[in-house]
Amino acid sequence: MQLSELLTPPLTLCHVDVVSKKRVLELASQTIAEQLNGPAAEDIFSGLINRERLGSTGIGEGVAIPHCRMAGVDRAVGMLMTLASPIDFDAIDNRPVDLVCLLLVPEQGAEEHLQTLAGLAELFNDSETREALRACTDSESLLTRVQGLCQER
Amino acid sequence: MILTLLFASAMLLISIVLSPLSNRIGMPVLLLFLGVGLLAGQSELGQLMSTEVESTFLVGHLALAIILLDGGMRTRFETFRVGLKPALSLATFGVVITAAVTGWAAHWILGLPLLPSLLIGTIISSTDAAAVFALLQNHGLRLNQRVSATLEIESGSNDPMAIFLTIILLELITRSTPPGVGEAALLLLTQMGLGAVGGLAGGWLLARVLPKLALQAAFYPLLVTAAGLSVFALVSLFDGSGFLAIYLMGIQVGNRGLRKLDDILQVHDGLAWLAQLSLFLMLGLLLSPHDKMEYIPEGLALAAVLILIARPLAVFITLWPFGFRWREQLFIAWVGLRGAVPIVLALFPLMADIEHAALFPIIAFIIVTLSLLLQGTTLARAARWLKLELPAEPAALRRLNIEWASPKNHRLMVFELDGEHWTPPRTLKGVRLPTDIVMTAVLRDGVMLPYEPDLKLQSGDQLAVIGEEEAELPLARLFSSVASIPALKESTFFGAFELNGSVQLEALAQNFGIEVPVELHSLSLADYIDSCLQAPPVVGDRAGLGSIQLVVKSLEAGKVSRVGLKF
Repeated sequence: MQLSELLTPPLTLCHVDVVSKKRVLELASQTIAEQLNGPAAEDIFSGLINRERLGSTGIGEGVAIPHCRMAGVDRAVGMLMTLASPIDFDAIDNRPVDLVCLLLVPEQGAEEHLQTLAGLAELFNDSETREALRACTDSESLLTRVQGLCQER
Repeated sequence: MILTLLFASAMLLISIVLSPLSNRIGMPVLLLFLGVGLLAGQSELGQLMSTEVESTFLVGHLALAIILLDGGMRTRFETFRVGLKPALSLATFGVVITAAVTGWAAHWILGLPLLPSLLIGTIISSTDAAAVFALLQNHGLRLNQRVSATLEIESGSNDPMAIFLTIILLELITRSTPPGVGEAALLLLTQMGLGAVGGLAGGWLLARVLPKLALQAAFYPLLVTAAGLSVFALVSLFDGSGFLAIYLMGIQVGNRGLRKLDDILQVHDGLAWLAQLSLFLMLGLLLSPHDKMEYIPEGLALAAVLILIARPLAVFITLWPFGFRWREQLFIAWVGLRGAVPIVLALFPLMADIEHAALFPIIAFIIVTLSLLLQGTTLARAARWLKLELPAEPAALRRLNIEWASPKNHRLMVFELDGEHWTPPRTLKGVRLPTDIVMTAVLRDGVMLPYEPDLKLQSGDQLAVIGEEEAELPLARLFSSVASIPALKESTFFGAFELNGSVQLEALAQNFGIEVPVELHSLSLADYIDSCLQAPPVVGDRAGLGSIQLVVKSLEAGKVSRVGLKF
């Protein structure tokens, strides 16, 4: 599944002002919980934190893709944030992160979701994509840019 | 006398000036030296020089000893973990098998008696350290460590075996009462035993004494050369293997964390090249006057047997207990480069003045040339084709030791900023830097700027950093990148996501929904990968788990510490 199909306007945020990895994950958990009326924010947060314990999802070049499987979610949900200033995410290349793309998937259909995850990593692997997203100044244009980028591919 | 000097130095000069050509035409530089030697040998003076077998013999020994010393100093102890046992098996049994098979073939092809045929097989049986080191390093090729460590240690340590076999066979040929089994065994024991003891003791002593001496900076590398050659000569004098001794001595000196090692290595790099040059020029010289090039078809046939049958056979037989994959075995079989050693060994029969002695340098020449031409030029492609190449690691542009009264070995490293990290320009804020480093200055468009945390770094800047050796790689990865083919991009090769080696498979099953048999649940990733491999793990090893692939990304103390995740 493409990123544009996973995102909705309330889950696409531009220049979010956060100071730490923990805060980003908390903010994301809350925002998603409000939108979904499914799992509680605490459950999402602990799911994400548990995944981070296996190894940081900061995949390098300022990008992080936190993800987890979640009971009570019936379809894959994405959330995209650009940060106002880069934060320490314990990323594998030691660089601070300012692009966070979060993925929450249902427990069934693991294979398909791994492909979605791989697709996200692939999308952010491209430096032009990253710069294009960083250059966006408001949430609407960020979403439009994502839709544009996904159509091109 | 002066004329000889002029001749020799002119040959050196021409070879060195021509050396950049070799990169352009993709030919190993050693072949170029050989060509210059051949041409020079056509002159009257060259023919005169080449008749002095004794001095050629001396130069050959000296050159080989220098090359082995340098090779030893560049062999890292860490590589012993994966490479030592297979390499030693290859360096001993492998040499015997190669020599026997090629010798047998020579018996048929050349129609010589068995003993001289075996002697031919022996002189071309050892893999050349210098050629392997030079080719592996020059291509900027980062190979699977199982392969590179095995090749490096093998090529450094198999020369004594080949030399020993040569000496034994020569004794058998020249003596009226050939040595019996007992005497031969004793000779082997003396050669290896004295070589090992002399080399280890000499190396240990040198590594102890060297830091305590207050010498002029220029004397340290020379001290190593002098000490190495002394041990080499002394051990040889008592019938030990001087070559084994000087190689072991190099390993000792190179792995003791000596502060002066960088300077020593720099000088020895030059010396080793000089030695190579001399050897190949010499071989070229040696051949011309005899004008017996009618052995070309036989030589080529023998080379084919060596490259296509003897070496692969030796590799497959000696490596099977060590769990190498077939790709790795195939590559090691292909990189059985022949170089300086056959040249020196071909001089032994000349010195002993046995029948057909003139044949040996010709055969050595044909085989070395073909090996360098065929295997040397295809090495990089073979590695890529067999998927043994790893993403290259960036490195500092320059490093310079700082000699001040600190117990730590500080060095000044210069990095060039390149790649997409630094466009647009940005500061180092938020970046996790290695500990205990100091950023000093930035060179931008030829102007030096003091480093400040607010300074935005941009592509093309050069950055000078003071730190210890361990800081180089993390810094280099931060500042620079290495251009490569798409398949070798870090995120493609290892997968985008990274996991800790200590993670249990159960956690993997929960987080990714992969099916893992219950009995494996408590296994850590590191242990699981170990259980999938038949050999100690190295970076780049892969293990499948359900629909995902685990790729070894780094190791700590022989244990997998980080694992890449490919879907």
